[in-house]
Amino acid sequence: MKENNGEKCGCKEKSDFGIDLSKKTCPTREQRANGINLFFGKASELLENAKAGNLKCSDRKFQQSGGCLLNFYLAVRVATIRDAAIIFNGPVGCSSTALGFNEYFRLIPPELGRPSDYELHWLTTNLSEDDVVFGAKDKLTKAIIEAEERYSPKAIFILTTCVTGIIGEDIEGTVSEIQKDINATIVPIHCEGVRSRIIQTGYDAFWHAVLKYLVKEPEKRQDDLVNIASMLSYTWQDRLEVQRLLGELGLRVNFIPEFSTVDQLEQLAEAAVTAPICPTFTDYLSKGLYQEFDVPYFMYPNPVGIKNTDNWLRQIGKFTGKEEEVEELIFKEHKKWIPKLKSLKKEFKKLNKVSNDGDKLNLLGSLGQGRLITQLPYFDELGVKASSAMAQDFDELLLDELEEVIENVGDFDIMVNTFQSGEQIHITNKTNPDIALTCPLQGGAWKLNSSVARLHAVRGDPTIQSAQIGYSGSIAYGNFLLQALKNTSYQRIMIEKTGIAYQDWYLNQPDPLYFAEKGVEKGKEKGK
Amino acid sequence: MKKIKEIAIYGKGGIGKSTTTSNISAALSDTGYSVMQVGCDPKSDSTNTLTGGKSIPTVLESLRKRRGNLKVEDVVIEGFNGIYCVEAGGPEPGVGCAGRGIITAVEFLKQEDVYEKYSPDIVLYDVLGDVVCGGFAMPIREGVADQVYTVSSADFMAIYAANNLFKGIKKYSTGGGALFSGIIANSISFAAQKEILKDFADQTKSTIAGFVPRSLTVTQAELSGKTTIESDPESTQADVYRELAKAIYNNKEEYVPSPLESDELKNWAGSWSDKLLELKKKDEGEFKI
Repeated sequence: MKENNGEKCGCKEKSDFGIDLSKKTCPTREQRANGINLFFGKASELLENAKAGNLKCSDRKFQQSGGCLLNFYLAVRVATIRDAAIIFNGPVGCSSTALGFNEYFRLIPPELGRPSDYELHWLTTNLSEDDVVFGAKDKLTKAIIEAEERYSPKAIFILTTCVTGIIGEDIEGTVSEIQKDINATIVPIHCEGVRSRIIQTGYDAFWHAVLKYLVKEPEKRQDDLVNIASMLSYTWQDRLEVQRLLGELGLRVNFIPEFSTVDQLEQLAEAAVTAPICPTFTDYLSKGLYQEFDVPYFMYPNPVGIKNTDNWLRQIGKFTGKEEEVEELIFKEHKKWIPKLKSLKKEFKKLNKVSNDGDKLNLLGSLGQGRLITQLPYFDELGVKASSAMAQDFDELLLDELEEVIENVGDFDIMVNTFQSGEQIHITNKTNPDIALTCPLQGGAWKLNSSVARLHAVRGDPTIQSAQIGYSGSIAYGNFLLQALKNTSYQRIMIEKTGIAYQDWYLNQPDPLYFAEKGVEKGKEKGK
Repeated sequence: MKKIKEIAIYGKGGIGKSTTTSNISAALSDTGYSVMQVGCDPKSDSTNTLTGGKSIPTVLESLRKRRGNLKVEDVVIEGFNGIYCVEAGGPEPGVGCAGRGIITAVEFLKQEDVYEKYSPDIVLYDVLGDVVCGGFAMPIREGVADQVYTVSSADFMAIYAANNLFKGIKKYSTGGGALFSGIIANSISFAAQKEILKDFADQTKSTIAGFVPRSLTVTQAELSGKTTIESDPESTQADVYRELAKAIYNNKEEYVPSPLESDELKNWAGSWSDKLLELKKKDEGEFKI
């Protein structure tokens, strides 16, 4: 079953994707899209450099923290796939984050839809000195057999680690030898931490394995099925809002990977469209499904903000033949939510007078690049500005979209930075925003005279006020921001009780990336 | 406690490291010294000619079976003339990590105070290859060998390996690692080969510890599972090894060599291509195939 959705899709040329499922894993983000985790300058400058192919991933001479391909929540999420088992092929410590499942998801009440039959199927090969010296093939084989016998799963995911990568374990060889004796589909994922500086590579490796081993040739097209792969930073309420909106259109959501079943992964190729919630988190899957099975996809927009949600629904309507229904739904939703947006806007406007620059409330956003391009127009809707933004990483996957955002909201400062709280405090001090938004996974004790709030919550937060997606989420997050602006007691106490963690010589550097080897080749080096 | 002399002998695979090392061990032992030889190669055949051609249990294989309950007596085996033979062991070809194996085995010997217990006068490490990774550099790091030798023929590949070893020594020398003490020139059958090695030593500010000619006696001894010292003690080749052993035991020279950069090495080797033909002609007359 091959039909050409390319025209309708507006999708890019398949030859540009860099996805080759005959290979055992994906290219790194650095190889595939010139990914970087380090930049400071104007967004227009970053865009220009990216277009010219000048992005270059480089290192810091001093790094405060970092993420690992395996353990930046990949493990936590793969472990939630319900009828599967997960084997960490490495020393026991590499598997510790599997326990994060409990921390992340236990607060979601089963009444809100968390599957109550879920249990963690977690094994590790617990590699030791002998295995490193002599090779660990037998242990992996035993772990696979144990997983099969204990859990009778439909799929067994093998997560590789630095150790198996360094000693060159032939995982695929082991898998192809034993697969014939195992009912479950064995799915090796190459997420060795040393492979890449860009943690998104771990997710690409996961999608590569899903596409290579699990997704089946479609038996039929399910015209009402919408694939949605979402990242961890969208909450349970967001999930419900997406289900509600698509439900109104008579569509079903194929949510992956959290709490999905192996069947859901196998039927990805039967869906009508793959819709983004975070485009750069899922682009490998979206493009892979299009390349291999002609499932159309779109990258923009995401359902953050009213206008973006409208257009996100319209895109989905286009691929599911629900254009009219979408317009009806938008009309109905607007009647309910636009008045609330207007009153929010009024409230923000009142606060503009007391803003730091006396003109307009200024946010400093710490965002993923996918969130960046959708959230800035949303802030615009609220009537606040974000003259500076931070992104965890950046690559060439969303250049047209970034260009459009710059056109619409104007140029802004951007810092690309994965979990370096010193650099973030530097830019926060310098920008002096009315509110600094931080990623809850990022930590860091900000001390501002104005306010600070989290940019988003994570999936395990089931509360209504943490929502961010769709119409209800856009209003909920607006209210959340408003509260953070009105109530600054947290900041007041922080300033009173604690000192700043960084020394003046660093904070006085003109360039927050003082410790960095620059992320793009610039004509002249700033700072120092 | 007496000072134990610890020596590491490196060189490209197949160049005659184990043969040379075992003969040095045998010669020193014959002179009355207490000797220990530690093979650091997954092939585990360094000490074969000291044990009558038999394989001995390796440290890594034994650790794998009896971790925490392994006694050093199980892996220190007495060979010819009471020489203490140890084989580090390692993985089958193509799996695991041989380098990590060397680290584990050498650390085990150090942790268990093997050298203090057996109190040899000299320990010889016979190490595979040309320091390709941290594991194979283990014997030249701080607290293990004091002196390093490399066995090299005049073959350019063997010389490249020696040059790599020099880079390793240079790297670790600032942190108290082993220092270099000389090239053991092996398989020498005509004068040009001596010239090449002498020139390489000059270029790298290193020295030659001794020349060992190519000899059928050695091959014969090997095939009978013995060192030349044991099987043919009266031969001239045995004298060569005895002299080399004495020179090494008394050698006080310890220094950091100056390895050539990759391009320098290529240019240097290139410069020998014409000279070599000339010298060989002088030595042997015209080539006849």
